[in-house]
Amino acid sequence: MNYALQIITAFLGSLGFSVLFNIRRTKLLIAGLGGMLSWSVYLLLGLVFDSDPIRYFFAAIFVTVYAEIFARIKKTPTTSYLVPAFIPLIPGGALYNTMKFALHNDWQSFGDTAVYTIQLALALSAGIIVVSSVMRMAHALYRFLFPKKQ
Amino acid sequence: MDTAKLLRVALDIGEKMLISGAEIGRVEDSVRRILMTYDMQRADVFTITSSIVATVTDKEENTITQTRRISKYSTDLDKLHSLNALSRKICAEKPELAQIKQELAEIDSKKVYPFYVQCAAYALIAGAFALFFGGNFLDAAAAAVIGVILKGVVFAADKAAVNMVFANVVSSFILCSLAFLCVFIGFGEHADMIIIGNIMLLIPGIGLTNSIRDIISGDIMAGMLRFCESVIIAIAIAAGYILSALLLGGLIK
Repeated sequence: MNYALQIITAFLGSLGFSVLFNIRRTKLLIAGLGGMLSWSVYLLLGLVFDSDPIRYFFAAIFVTVYAEIFARIKKTPTTSYLVPAFIPLIPGGALYNTMKFALHNDWQSFGDTAVYTIQLALALSAGIIVVSSVMRMAHALYRFLFPKKQ
Repeated sequence: MDTAKLLRVALDIGEKMLISGAEIGRVEDSVRRILMTYDMQRADVFTITSSIVATVTDKEENTITQTRRISKYSTDLDKLHSLNALSRKICAEKPELAQIKQELAEIDSKKVYPFYVQCAAYALIAGAFALFFGGNFLDAAAAAVIGVILKGVVFAADKAAVNMVFANVVSSFILCSLAFLCVFIGFGEHADMIIIGNIMLLIPGIGLTNSIRDIISGDIMAGMLRFCESVIIAIAIAAGYILSALLLGGLIK
């Protein structure tokens, strides 16, 4: 029940952001579904991995592949799908806890949570880096094998 | 073809792309491709988050440089999509400048979602994330109401053209104070969840993702600028929260 609610709200949250970023028509739905899927993948990975950063890393890989695929189908910049789909993964909760520990002068926990937040952010970046680099290499290989006629 | 005019149109497209939320690499690539389509000898484009510089040398050996200063962004991914399509079309069809200008004007005249829809989106996001992070439905309702007020504050700050850091401190302070007041009068149980739901609206998600992508593609300087900007915004949000919690946090225990 709790997970179902999270998946639904992840969809709504991503959908809301897609509206703010002025995404239109069917693209709106693709972007919202991306957010829902990104969180579902994160939750499913919980069956296999215990570590949060690892789960974020693989979820980020999934989202970036998803965004790249639909960007090519719809001939639109990847950003349109990548940004809204990433929204549920943004470590807002961790960031908030960090602030809260600072407020309560609990510097031990502040340090731990800050490091945890940074780990999550790095895991997300690493996920994007892996997919973007592979896509670049694949593109270069494609160009090499099938050169454009001048 | 007048090289100076061509360069101006190419930079118009680049500038609008950057403002709408494109990555640096895309802006540089599009401007350079457009210029090279019109048989220039050489085109060099350099972009960071706040500026575009382009130098072009045409067939008659005239060298021209133009720069643009970008001081404000407003993410509009639909516009970015249209601009990207236009730039592909230019490279494929090499249309007249007048036609490009006309299409640019058409893209500019496209509307964003009306104000009340944006307010609804703010409410939806704040409510959804209050639930997402473990709040109950009453918390979500409070978060949604505060979300609408937050949209008003963000809009006012934008119109008054206050600087980014101050605008975020104020927005964060107001939303946190409202959350504490809501819980104080019994409208919502968990101030934490109400605040997190609304903070998601202020967190610079697009800036952060784009900064990482810029850095990967080798635009280190632009990426670092955007990254610093995002971190500063995060600190501003924290400052607003801490101010508010020190003043009003005592209301609820």
